[in-house]
Amino acid sequence: MLRTGVAERSVQELYRDDPERADALAFGRRGALKGAALAAMGAAVGGAIPFASTMPRGTLPAIFARPAAAQQPQVLRMDGKAGLTLLGERPLVAETPEHLLDEPVTSYANFFIRNNGGIPDAVTGDPRAWRIRIDGEVNTPLDLTVGELESRFPVVTRQLQMECGGNGRAFFTPQARGNQWGNGAISNGEWTGVRLRDVLQAAGLKPSAVSTGHYGADPHLSGATDRPSIARGMRIAKSMDEDTLIAFRLNGQPIPHIHGAPVRLITPGWPGSLSQKWLTRIWVRDVMHDGPGMGGTSYRVPRTPIVPGSDNNGRDFVEQESMPVRSILSSHAHGTRLPAGTRALDLRGAAWAGDLTVRAVHVSTDFGATWQEMSTAAPANRHAWQRWTGRVTLPSDGYYEIWYRATDSEGRMQPHAAANWNPQGYNANPISRAAILVG
Amino acid sequence: MRPFLIAVLLASLGFGAVLAQDTRRDADTARAIEQTAEEETVLPDGEGRSETFGYCTACHNTAIIRRSRFTRQQWDGLMDWMTERHGMNPLEGEFRTTIVDYLARHFGPAQVPARGRNPFLN
Repeated sequence: MLRTGVAERSVQELYRDDPERADALAFGRRGALKGAALAAMGAAVGGAIPFASTMPRGTLPAIFARPAAAQQPQVLRMDGKAGLTLLGERPLVAETPEHLLDEPVTSYANFFIRNNGGIPDAVTGDPRAWRIRIDGEVNTPLDLTVGELESRFPVVTRQLQMECGGNGRAFFTPQARGNQWGNGAISNGEWTGVRLRDVLQAAGLKPSAVSTGHYGADPHLSGATDRPSIARGMRIAKSMDEDTLIAFRLNGQPIPHIHGAPVRLITPGWPGSLSQKWLTRIWVRDVMHDGPGMGGTSYRVPRTPIVPGSDNNGRDFVEQESMPVRSILSSHAHGTRLPAGTRALDLRGAAWAGDLTVRAVHVSTDFGATWQEMSTAAPANRHAWQRWTGRVTLPSDGYYEIWYRATDSEGRMQPHAAANWNPQGYNANPISRAAILVG
Repeated sequence: MRPFLIAVLLASLGFGAVLAQDTRRDADTARAIEQTAEEETVLPDGEGRSETFGYCTACHNTAIIRRSRFTRQQWDGLMDWMTERHGMNPLEGEFRTTIVDYLARHFGPAQVPARGRNPFLN
């Protein structure tokens, strides 16, 4: 543990402001900790450093100076998009801060961005001429344009929650591999399209059909043309769900390019990677699909809990399918400061639970000592998120944390800490905390 | 009736053209973000920085590295995982040691919560 004190603060500040100079000062030209620098470091780490002479240069910045990007979020700057939190430029990944998810139906501006590959070329001609292929374990392989899809099958419009499989990953300790999402890799768009099951039934599933495999037009990040960026698939049962769509409109408009124009899958309640963007092909398989993003530790979680931080090849893991229950607070951003004398807060948010529904949302302002039930609305339709509202009172000015947790229709609550740690960080859904300062 | 139909047809054609333009513009904007130039100095100075920057950014930019906090063993395992799962050229020998050492030294396990700074003090 770090000890508080003058020496620690000065060393920390030095590293925060100019890690290179700090490193040079602390280690000297020969690369060894000496004299006053050694004493200061000892105070900072809370004890003497017996092996200071062999301590490698550059070790200290990892302790004291977090790279700026880890501390100060970068903001996405993109036409038509709100100031989402930029998690990475290549691949382009951006998270929606919870307080921007205050709309019942998620707008394009506030829709999170996740790519596994590069951004493909935009369609130059008529987007309705884009073709998708249905082949594999079917009686009649189909090759359909988007226009044909729309005219041949019933067109449905549904509000559907779509969430990255790694949502909440940042809550795991120790850190798991991948984008460090908070709770903001969630959306509830109004999607228009045709049911995947209608299309699969038109092709005629053979009795040997076990799973689907999805392919899109986005190129592999390395530029390699002989491999897809990602190609995941699901059990046939989910592909036959009435809410699994081949979608071509978002919120009444053609799907924006970054979200998979002109046509994509929407597989609500399951990892977002099953909602393949820029869809080109659905391959019906006679085994569980084994494309990139399948098997091992990818989108799979331990059946038997493993030691956090340990190695595991995922052989005994199970597929991450329906996502776990989760809630967001959209009325107040983490770090909101309110005027002195504020004694009540009108809270709002959303909650969802994969294929299930949310039975209740509770809020605590006293670190979990007491909980108050909020009012949770029914979903607009199956697989839509649910909005919640409620008022809490505060006894005085001061520092508070709003803790919020949802309970699913089978009685499972968000846990106090992220459970069932796994190397790639799936299903972390602990109770969330937003800090509020009154006065 | 006929002029009306023609007007509708023209309007829909125009609408389509605007959409195609929007889509191209959106693709260009996203690509520009993807191709944001990075200098090696975005990573902390130290032995192995050039090798790490050069090898890793063949596929992805440094954001994912800069936000990661792993032990040496985890970084080492990640090299194999990227080769097996993402087609990275196998990383071996001294070159591998240089890169893994660099990553472990500068991006070791986190000492601060992922949530980051106290919003009222910083």
